Amino acid sequence: MENQIPHEAELIERIGWLIRLRWLAVLGTGSAIALSWLLFPGALPLLPLIAVTAAIALYNSQFRLYNRNLMLGPAGMPRLRQAQRFACIQILLDLVALAILLHFSGGVENPMAVFFVFHTIIASILLSRTISFVMGTVAAALFAAMTGLEATGVLQHYHLPMLGDAEPYRMTGYLLAVTGTMALTLWLVAYMTSSITVRLRQRDRELLQSHQASLAKSRQLEVLNERLRRIDAERTRFLTLVTHELRAPINTIHTSMELVLSGYLPPEKVRGVLKRLMERTEELSDLVSDLLRLARAREEASRDEQLAAVQSADVLQSVVELMKAEADSKDIFLSVDVAPDLAPVQAHPDRLKLVWTNLLSNALKYTEPGGIVAVSLKQTPQHVVGIVRDTGIGIPPEDQDRIFEEFYRAENARTASPVGTGVGLAIVKRLIENWGGEIRLESEAGLGSKFVVRLPRADVGTTEEA
Amino acid sequence: MGTKGSVLVIDDDPDLCAALQAALQANGFTVRCAHQGSLGLEMMREAKPDLVFLDIIMRMPTEGVWVSEEIASDPQLRDVPVVMLTSIVDSEHAGDFPTDRPLRAHMFLDKPVPLSEVLEIAERFAGEPAGATQG
Repeated sequence: MENQIPHEAELIERIGWLIRLRWLAVLGTGSAIALSWLLFPGALPLLPLIAVTAAIALYNSQFRLYNRNLMLGPAGMPRLRQAQRFACIQILLDLVALAILLHFSGGVENPMAVFFVFHTIIASILLSRTISFVMGTVAAALFAAMTGLEATGVLQHYHLPMLGDAEPYRMTGYLLAVTGTMALTLWLVAYMTSSITVRLRQRDRELLQSHQASLAKSRQLEVLNERLRRIDAERTRFLTLVTHELRAPINTIHTSMELVLSGYLPPEKVRGVLKRLMERTEELSDLVSDLLRLARAREEASRDEQLAAVQSADVLQSVVELMKAEADSKDIFLSVDVAPDLAPVQAHPDRLKLVWTNLLSNALKYTEPGGIVAVSLKQTPQHVVGIVRDTGIGIPPEDQDRIFEEFYRAENARTASPVGTGVGLAIVKRLIENWGGEIRLESEAGLGSKFVVRLPRADVGTTEEA
Repeated sequence: MGTKGSVLVIDDDPDLCAALQAALQANGFTVRCAHQGSLGLEMMREAKPDLVFLDIIMRMPTEGVWVSEEIASDPQLRDVPVVMLTSIVDSEHAGDFPTDRPLRAHMFLDKPVPLSEVLEIAERFAGEPAGATQG
């Protein structure tokens, strides 16, 4: 990356700086001409010198306009290339102008030939090392051509009066020495300045990278912070919900018991109310059990203890045995389709049983008599896939997003079966996600639901290729 | 029909409604039950009760609040006394209750509400049958 050129905006800005610098040069040249005319009137050809100075001023004002347009143009590679060419042209014109000025003011006698160094330095700052070497070479060549043509008489020599009678412009040895020294100096300057520039640009780039890295880091932290905030808010919301879900039935039980004790209830109604109280108490107890399971499932998200390779087909079979009686009593056809030679999954055997039980009992609960519940187990190259389908009441679209939330029960579910904690699916989802799987739902109200559970196979390595 | 006024209980728990209904009816009040806010409002507009017991948190956490605002903004209904029943006021998480608008109700009672208090309030606001009270 030695030859890397500064990026666009920087280059255009620096070109602007060069153009401003040139005004100073014009001023300096004008002053030098005036001074020489004061000190040695008639010694040097005023007209050509003034003409060249005017020409520099003219082309610099054009440069100014051009650069302004360049700044307004669209960013990108074409503009970068344009800017680079523009800079080269400026420098070349300057070299030619300087050579001409030197010719009319003493040629090899004029020490201001040293000014060629400026152009070499500018080329290494604005452009690449290669170009700065080229410019140095062009400068040396122009100088050599100018002094050579003067020495051979092709061009007229204009003598500097302060040198008296000495005429070095015809001394070959001297000319060669000066030209050689000039070329060497320009190449050395090109080399050194571009080395410094390269190093500076490298450091710039590193700084930019580290700045971007720390920006990325702080963005990451923000994201994490946001997550933590959400988790905290979630926890608070959950606690509020749990408190209410537990308190409400307790309050009702209390009031109902007070009613019995108060004597306001006709005696024949007492038994009915007490039975209802029993039911509510059992529901409450079930809710507490569910909450415990949920809490345990949440906790296990951070520990993969006791995970074993479990045959989901076996677990399913045992659950189906339990559900068969209920299916028969509700006159629901329960179909089971298990693919042979299924791979095991990494899970907790009891919890997997809970997953199947929840899904199947939901399916049976929300399907009318005469309906169908179909369970299937199969596998893909990476996963074991379980599907529970029913022809039941289905889940309306507005409830589908929330059905896995704790305590959430769809309206039609509440109507069909007032008994229910709304926690079952939340437990199922959490357990499945703990095991690296996912659960998806497809459903249409009135037609039925389909729950698809996908669990990663325990026999397929995820980190190493089998 | 009771000899005293009419009471409407709006609460999504049918057992609670039934218990309050039994106690109030045993003491001569005419009682109706509604398990949804919208249904309760309908019943109020059909036949204006002398007193309403309204649960704050029902199916939707803000349902009770919404009902109380509907009652307050309805010129036909806004003079009906509303007693709100709540089970969250003394919870540590009461601050998370999802509303920051003031609740329009005549009083608040914490569940479980002692039946004696329920009856006492009913006597106060609905002791006389509707139409018997002027202004």
